[in-house]
Amino acid sequence: MKYRLVSGLETHVELATATKIFCGCTTAFGGSPNTHCCPVCTGQPGTLPVLNKKVVEYAIRAGLATHCTINTTTHLDRKNYCYPDLPKAYQISQFDKPLCENGYVELESGKRIGITRIHIEEDAGKLVHESGYTYIDYNRGGVPLIEIVSEPDISSPEEAKEYVEKLQLIMRYIGVSDCKMQEGSMRCDVNISVMEEGATEFGTRTEIKNMNSISYIEKAMAYEYERQIEVIEGGGKIVQATLRYDEHTGETSVMRTKEDAQDYRYFPEPDILTVVIPEEKVEEIRKGLPELPTDKLHRYIDELKINPATAKLLYKYKRVCDFAERAFALGAGVKNTVNLIVGTLYSKLETEEDKEKFALPVSAEEMAKLVKLVDEGKVNITLAQKTLAKMAEEGKPVSEYIKPEDVAGMDDSELTEICKKAIEANPNAVADFKAGKDKAIFALYGFVKKATQGKADIKKADEIIRGLIK
Amino acid sequence: MSVSKQEIKTLARLSRLEFSEEEIEKFAPEFEEIIDFANRINEQVAGDTGSIREVVSRTVKWEDLREDEVVESLPNEKITSNVQAENGYFPVRRVVK
Amino acid sequence: MRKVISTLSEKLQSGEITSVQLTEKYISAIEAQNPRLNAYVHLTFDEARANAQAADKMIKEGKATALTGVPFTLKDNIATDGLFTTCCSKILQGFKPYYDATVWAKLKAQGAVLLGKTNMDEFAMGSTGETSVYGAPLNPVDNTRVTGGSSGGGAAAVCANLAAYALGSDTGGSIRQPASFCGVVGFKPTYGAVSRYGLLAYGSSLDQIGPMTQSVTDAAIVYDAIRGEDKADGTSVPTSAQKTVLKGDIKGLKIGISEEYFDGVPTEIKGAIDNMISAYEKGGAQVVRVSIPALKLALSVYYIIACAEASSNLGRYDGIRYGYRASNYTSVDDMITKTRTEGFGKEVKKRIMLGTYVLSSGYFDAYYKKACLLRKTVESQMAEAFEKCDVLFAPTAPNTAFKQGYSGGNAVETYLSDVCTVPVNIAGLPAISIPCGKDKNGLPIGMQIIGKKFSDALVLDTAYFAELNGLSKTAEVEGGVKL
Repeated sequence: MKYRLVSGLETHVELATATKIFCGCTTAFGGSPNTHCCPVCTGQPGTLPVLNKKVVEYAIRAGLATHCTINTTTHLDRKNYCYPDLPKAYQISQFDKPLCENGYVELESGKRIGITRIHIEEDAGKLVHESGYTYIDYNRGGVPLIEIVSEPDISSPEEAKEYVEKLQLIMRYIGVSDCKMQEGSMRCDVNISVMEEGATEFGTRTEIKNMNSISYIEKAMAYEYERQIEVIEGGGKIVQATLRYDEHTGETSVMRTKEDAQDYRYFPEPDILTVVIPEEKVEEIRKGLPELPTDKLHRYIDELKINPATAKLLYKYKRVCDFAERAFALGAGVKNTVNLIVGTLYSKLETEEDKEKFALPVSAEEMAKLVKLVDEGKVNITLAQKTLAKMAEEGKPVSEYIKPEDVAGMDDSELTEICKKAIEANPNAVADFKAGKDKAIFALYGFVKKATQGKADIKKADEIIRGLIK
Repeated sequence: MSVSKQEIKTLARLSRLEFSEEEIEKFAPEFEEIIDFANRINEQVAGDTGSIREVVSRTVKWEDLREDEVVESLPNEKITSNVQAENGYFPVRRVVK
Repeated sequence: MRKVISTLSEKLQSGEITSVQLTEKYISAIEAQNPRLNAYVHLTFDEARANAQAADKMIKEGKATALTGVPFTLKDNIATDGLFTTCCSKILQGFKPYYDATVWAKLKAQGAVLLGKTNMDEFAMGSTGETSVYGAPLNPVDNTRVTGGSSGGGAAAVCANLAAYALGSDTGGSIRQPASFCGVVGFKPTYGAVSRYGLLAYGSSLDQIGPMTQSVTDAAIVYDAIRGEDKADGTSVPTSAQKTVLKGDIKGLKIGISEEYFDGVPTEIKGAIDNMISAYEKGGAQVVRVSIPALKLALSVYYIIACAEASSNLGRYDGIRYGYRASNYTSVDDMITKTRTEGFGKEVKKRIMLGTYVLSSGYFDAYYKKACLLRKTVESQMAEAFEKCDVLFAPTAPNTAFKQGYSGGNAVETYLSDVCTVPVNIAGLPAISIPCGKDKNGLPIGMQIIGKKFSDALVLDTAYFAELNGLSKTAEVEGGVKL
């Protein structure tokens, strides 16, 4: 029997606002326990929440970037449950009228994963369990979140991975979150069921809570898919349950079943009035959106004629793209620019995060100067690579490494003189070349490179040598 | 309207309250009385009553939402002033021996 | 009626008495009377003395306002930085907030002198004052009777001259009903006119802070001092920049009378209100009959919404961050449940359970949702009534002060005592209760004047007509501070 995997993700993304969703405390990560707190975010009795405008703005941005419709009249609701990290014993969230609805994220295959809704809510504090004590820190309490709920359109762990990566990419592009899974600023709950190929109804689903790494999501999904099939094939039934994934054993286990499910008793938050967002504001936010990743990728391939493999290496990192595009704007040729970035600069940026940050001391202006020298044939690519590598280490301008006289002095007559010397010094190679061994010319290149300390344009030298030998 | 003991126990669990069996015996009739009282609204009006969103009449304007400007947080001593804090945390013993 | 605030203010500003001296007088009176009346549950005399010194300085520097140097009280559910704020509940035992409620911050800035925190029903849930963990306050008019509630302590303190005025809170009548039982003035402003920041919430969409005083004049002064938009309370609204002017001008005023308000109200109370209406008619007002059929539903609607919100608002009392914590438990979960079970009183538990019930998945539509829709009906029917009249006159309560202990065996009967006060909270309207004669036992009767949203000034001015013409007399009791 063949089984299809049916999965939907609920993704929590912490918004990169300066202040919390309902008070003016900072959202900065970390800090000594209970120092990013005030009466409001610690749920002191008598305090009231005051909604942060930027949270609404960022959530709308996220909604527009995922093709959602925006509910311009929106309301917050209370989700009641008691847990020590939730100081009011309710989370202010959105229930039946989320800010954004009905969008999608497009995968590279062109398949669209539907976005059911995006709503805003507050994060909870953190619990530390140690030697018989639970210690509570409310610094994270009240940090704004959006919850992005997908349709059950995901049909493999690979698709889940790509979907999460796409979401990350989009959120980073539009600047609403850094989406760092290891710091908890992006977390996923994964819903999974299996259905027989050809069946029309979904199977009973389970939910794996709080996944904080893409590779765990893939592994947990694969595990849960196999487990569910095993249960069904063994004649059993899937029990609707909330699961946790154990990273060490690679297995899922039951946190709670439907019987002891929570009753959240949602009702409209009486302390916050209904928010009315002017249509013009939504349009303003829409206009302010940067080019989205998928659009950029297509433009790189179709218009800038960057080869698809290179384009894919670039478009994931917004800062890299911004850098490259500034260099293009300053007249640097596309091909040489992207090759130098991917070939040289990327070797200095080992991790994803390094590429994400792109914190090299090379300005787009200096990059453009260097690329133009290559474009004009004044510097060969090897020297350009070496120079760029040094620039990335030392942060000095191009002029520190390539002097004007090096470039200017290498005119055709000078190069011709050197080529003549190369021919004189390598009679055997010249003889071989004349005999039809084309590769023998490489020995002459070597001489020219050495004599010019790599500054010569080998293409040009090639032309000259061939002319002289004839 | 009768409310079963089981239902009272479920409500107590959700409310984070505990009632002994005797207390439930005593509480049940009182609770039924108050539910009957609340239920008067159902005697008077019947049928579907539309969306509860219709009742949300007051709204806040966009420009009246709070600007994203940081206000200094309070010192930890204040935040934890109503407990015996440990290293700045709110502590709760998990197991009592 | 006695203009306590303006009288004291004149004496203070003329130098006849200093605030420090005046404060000591109140302190002595409280020390003498409070052990019997139980109006105050937390005395803040150190704070009062410091406030008085600051006030005297303000007066000397010519920076005084009407309230500078005048001693008052706050209900025990209004947050005061560093001072006990316990909602008269065991669960907030020992709790001292580290921030000030907006109303207290405003009054402090004007040089007000805080004598203490006054008694109330636990978490404002009650109509007698008897659910307080500190025991009920006594009605100064008749010590065998309750003060009413929930702001019973404030009503008793004002009535017995143990404070010039009190701030109470009104969710379903908690300012007006005790004011009526104790023969004083109680004013509940339009929802949003006074910031709720720092008011420990009961029913968030209904709660409103307001003054309890010995005269309408005093109520207007206090109202002016505490009202206005507050950035910390998103439901607050800007109010008039003008001071409330009282003229008692009722020529051509249309007084609406809705029969539904008088359903089941004893003839004695009805008669007292009829007399008052006649006096207003003589003064040039006109009576208009209006009908508000939805009032019959208001009480059930109120209990459903208030309890639903309360069940959520009171979830935070878990023993982790402040207040009482159970000492014997087996886990964090168990600690929370035991803390709440030991910390909340019976009435509070009952209302939390009702609130949980009406919000829980099988019952939400039948109760909470329906109550919200009916709330809208009450609101629109009242708005319609105000198209025909300027103000409504109604009894404050269908009864005068209960005997102590009455509520114990008559839960729903006690709830019915709120029948005349809750519609105003449901619709967010302003209303004042003023004394309106006495019953056969000599107990004060209260009458409400209700206005449409944001007509607070009109409500006060209409009530002022009774003060100006001696139609309304506040209770006079022995003891306390003599003016």
